[in-house]
Amino acid sequence: MVQEKSSLELELQRLREDLEFLEGYIKEFSEFLPLPICTVNPLNIILGVNQAFQDFTGYNEIEIGGREITDLFLEKKETEVLAEEISQKNTRVIKELTLLTKDKKKIPVNVYGLSRKDEDGNFIGYFLALSDISEIKKFQEKLEEKVREKTKELEKRTKDLETSRKALMNILEDVDEEKKRVEEEKNKTLSVITNFTDGLLIFDEKNNLSLINPQGENFFNLKAQDLAGKTISELDNFPTLKPLMELIGPEISQVFRKEIQLKENLILEVTSLPIIREKERIGTLVILHDVTREKLIERMKTEFVSLSAHQLRTPLSAIKWTLRMLLDGDLGEITEEQRNFVEKTYNSNERMISLINDLLNITRIEEGRYLYKTILTDIESVIESVISFYKEEIEKRKLKVEFKKPKEKLPEVMADIEKLKLAFQNIFDNAIRYNLVGGRVTVSLNYVKKKIEVTVEDTGVGIPKNQQDRVFTKFFRAANVMRMETEGTGLGLFIAKNIIEAHGGKIWFESEENKGSTFYFTLPVK
Amino acid sequence: MAKKILIVEDEEILINLLQRKLTNEGYEVSLARDGEEGLKVMKEIQPDLLLLDIVMPKMGGFEVMEKMGRDSELKKIPVIVISNSGQPVEIDRAQELGAKDWLVKAEFDPQEVIDKITKQIGK
Repeated sequence: MVQEKSSLELELQRLREDLEFLEGYIKEFSEFLPLPICTVNPLNIILGVNQAFQDFTGYNEIEIGGREITDLFLEKKETEVLAEEISQKNTRVIKELTLLTKDKKKIPVNVYGLSRKDEDGNFIGYFLALSDISEIKKFQEKLEEKVREKTKELEKRTKDLETSRKALMNILEDVDEEKKRVEEEKNKTLSVITNFTDGLLIFDEKNNLSLINPQGENFFNLKAQDLAGKTISELDNFPTLKPLMELIGPEISQVFRKEIQLKENLILEVTSLPIIREKERIGTLVILHDVTREKLIERMKTEFVSLSAHQLRTPLSAIKWTLRMLLDGDLGEITEEQRNFVEKTYNSNERMISLINDLLNITRIEEGRYLYKTILTDIESVIESVISFYKEEIEKRKLKVEFKKPKEKLPEVMADIEKLKLAFQNIFDNAIRYNLVGGRVTVSLNYVKKKIEVTVEDTGVGIPKNQQDRVFTKFFRAANVMRMETEGTGLGLFIAKNIIEAHGGKIWFESEENKGSTFYFTLPVK
Repeated sequence: MAKKILIVEDEEILINLLQRKLTNEGYEVSLARDGEEGLKVMKEIQPDLLLLDIVMPKMGGFEVMEKMGRDSELKKIPVIVISNSGQPVEIDRAQELGAKDWLVKAEFDPQEVIDKITKQIGK
């Protein structure tokens, strides 16, 4: 029995030693474990805690032992829920709670709980482990703060963006409106151009045709689509455009109211204008105005005047001869008194005949059939013949007339002698007629710069300054000569100018009232 | 023997005047009022000079001169044309057709007529 007792005692001792060792091991282990752990009984009373737990909570074993776990945490209700959950489950339960330390610190912790069961599966309590998540929490908070900040920023940015967007929308609306307005303007302008009764052609800065309006299409019998974008040289290929192209040339020179004839009954007046924007030429506008009707009316007027003048000549001639015969005594003797009156009538009649002749000359000028034929003419002899024609008149008025000829013989000019004579006569006649008694007329003939120059200088009444710009117009007679002599048609210089210019020459004058006038004209020598 | 002058002119007043004037100067004057009549009278009386208007009904002065030119007798008669317009166009044509001189209706006076006639055929 002693042996039996010994082996049993030995066994027991061994077991006791093992147990002690295990206890010691567990105690060492739990001392070591840096994780705060406590054991809790089913009534939620804390039974034991490890060193880490004590360090963490600040409570030592004696202080905390026997206390309820709800004392440890801020969220009492939550703690109870946790306890309940642990008791129900077999697996680890985790919950976030706030630990209340002995010195009243609040530390956010993750609480891990695991239920303990006996051999029979009865719930005998649980382990609780605490994990300090304050760092994590801080980090979380910082993160949240950052997120809040960022969100605020984002919100602000979004607001700004929204404001910008609104502003942009407003601008877009304004732009849209502006665009609509411009579109309307453009349409209005386009409508005007389309319906304009004159033909319009618009060339761009490269002298290509960018637009031709319907009236323009009409005139040339062409379609805008065939012409758009074409260069000047390409346009030359259209036969109906030829007269226009010839007039404006490859550079689209500036033209002011020049006429071109497209068809028998279509005459257009052409004007070309540069289109300038901010001092730069961005194109050219060519305006075509239909003057066919005007030309027709002009022609009718001229024909009418011509016809009337011709008709008037006949009775005037008849009067002339009758009076002449009366004055010449062919119809019997007449008394001195009768002679007087008849002579006055004769002179009046002569004036009328002269006026008719002038009118006829004008109609011929306007019809463009004025210069009949030109031959080589010696100006000197023309002048001589006119001066000699006026011999009587010169003597009557006691005028001194001088003809300054050049030493050498001047070249001849291509001229219509009759007309040239008439032109010079008209000028010379003025110099004689509007002169003072005993005055002087000097006619000079020169050859200057390939031109024959004739000068007629008088000591007459001159032309008032404010009337000088009308001297060459039809029917114009200056106020001072009208008082002096009521005769005079006012057509002489108009006709003279036309004749000189028809010969390719120029005519001009200088004059001072009460001093005299000097008339100049030139004729080119071919 | 008075020189014979034939006036071919459609305007009454001018005919009267010229007739009066020329008769006063001692010429024997015959009258025709258009070209056709003129040619007829011309053939009959063989005038020493012809005063010929250009613009006339039925037959005008140029046509008369053309016809005269084709007749051996008639073409000898000196012609002074009476031009209405006095335009070089007319005058030149008249001269081409053989006219010796011309008068411009609205411009001449009776004395000029006498002068030109005298120049051609004397008194």
